[in-house]
Amino acid sequence: MLATRVFSLVGKRAISTSVCVRAHESVVKSEDFSLPAYMDRRDHPLPEVAHVKHLSASQKALKEKEKASWSSLSMDEKVESLCFLLHKCGFGEKWLNVAEEGAADLCACKWLSSLPPVYRIKFKESFAEMNRGSNEWKTVVGGAMFFIGFTALVIMWQKHYVYGPLPQSFDKEWVAKQTKRMLDMKVNPIQGLASKWDYEKNEWKK
Amino acid sequence: MAHAAQVGLQDATSPIMEELITFHDHALMIIFLICFLVLYALFLTLTTKLTNTNISDAQEMETVWTILPAIILVLIALPSLRILYMTDEVNDPSLTIKSIGHQWYWTYEYTDYGGLIFNSYMLPPLFLEPGDLRLLDVDNRVVLPIEAPIRMMITSQDVLHSWTVPTLGLKTDAIPGRLNQTTFTATRPGVYYGQCSEICGANHSFMPIVLELIPLKIFEMGPVFTL
Repeated sequence: MLATRVFSLVGKRAISTSVCVRAHESVVKSEDFSLPAYMDRRDHPLPEVAHVKHLSASQKALKEKEKASWSSLSMDEKVESLCFLLHKCGFGEKWLNVAEEGAADLCACKWLSSLPPVYRIKFKESFAEMNRGSNEWKTVVGGAMFFIGFTALVIMWQKHYVYGPLPQSFDKEWVAKQTKRMLDMKVNPIQGLASKWDYEKNEWKK
Repeated sequence: MAHAAQVGLQDATSPIMEELITFHDHALMIIFLICFLVLYALFLTLTTKLTNTNISDAQEMETVWTILPAIILVLIALPSLRILYMTDEVNDPSLTIKSIGHQWYWTYEYTDYGGLIFNSYMLPPLFLEPGDLRLLDVDNRVVLPIEAPIRMMITSQDVLHSWTVPTLGLKTDAIPGRLNQTTFTATRPGVYYGQCSEICGANHSFMPIVLELIPLKIFEMGPVFTL
């Protein structure tokens, strides 16, 4: 509850136990999972079922027109016709062989914002839409930084109210005498502490 | 001894430790290369746009990534075994010292040429002078000559302990009812510290080992044997 409040929009969607909400509306509501289902997935480009199961009147008319010979379609209607678009994008074998000048760039992927109704019958989202990024990372990073900050507060409280004093060997004078003693003993003279001290000039090496 | 927050190995004071440092560099480099490769592969897996999942039946690749690790392991094993056998070389130690672990101090016996036995307790914090090393300094150090092979016989009188001096590359368990032997030759005079390395009770962290290595001539003069 608190998490959903804290993260409001994303929290409700991420933590919800409802299949429908979690699956970002790309899965049909609580169906038998053994039946073919529609899904928008990058690695599953042609789902088993169409997005829209029950066509409206205008959609039915469009489908009828698509069944006729494609050469009778205008350029615009070709853009609208999904079969034609799919062929041009290389899902070729199943579809009729149509080759036309200027139709090469009629790839569905290019017509992002103005995808035709026929496309929307078959698919819910285009590849660009399904692959879009989100702002979730800001919530995650912000949440992580918040909890790190909270941990810092906990540690400050501990230092003040729980821990005892440091041993006297942490005093500056003690550490100075200790370091001098370690240098006199030539502790780690090859690559360690004493190797960094200039014994002639009596100072740290530059 | 290590300085505060030291992560790497201490400088070597014996030839075996020098070998161990070189071997550690070698093994660590191999580890870093493998880790970097794996992290890179993981990164590519997480950021690829490719979706092909047909990734079985890659016989040549599978052969390569079986043979190559085997070769890498051999390249690690050979230097390792070399050092292992080097530590067992016959070297006729000049001196034998016995080190007996107790809860929670060490007893050292110099019985080759006399009968010197003494205990070595950590200096309690209240007994420290400014500049002393807290948790490391002891009341009686183990005084030994440099450049002479020394044999340590290590055992325990009660529970398991472990006699350690990292700069000499030594770590030998002190086991009750058993005598473990280790030998070393120190190349530099100085004071070298170690800490008990086998959990042995409440004060396991408070029974350090301190060796004082001095030139042979001074050692022979006999300061050690005057009690």
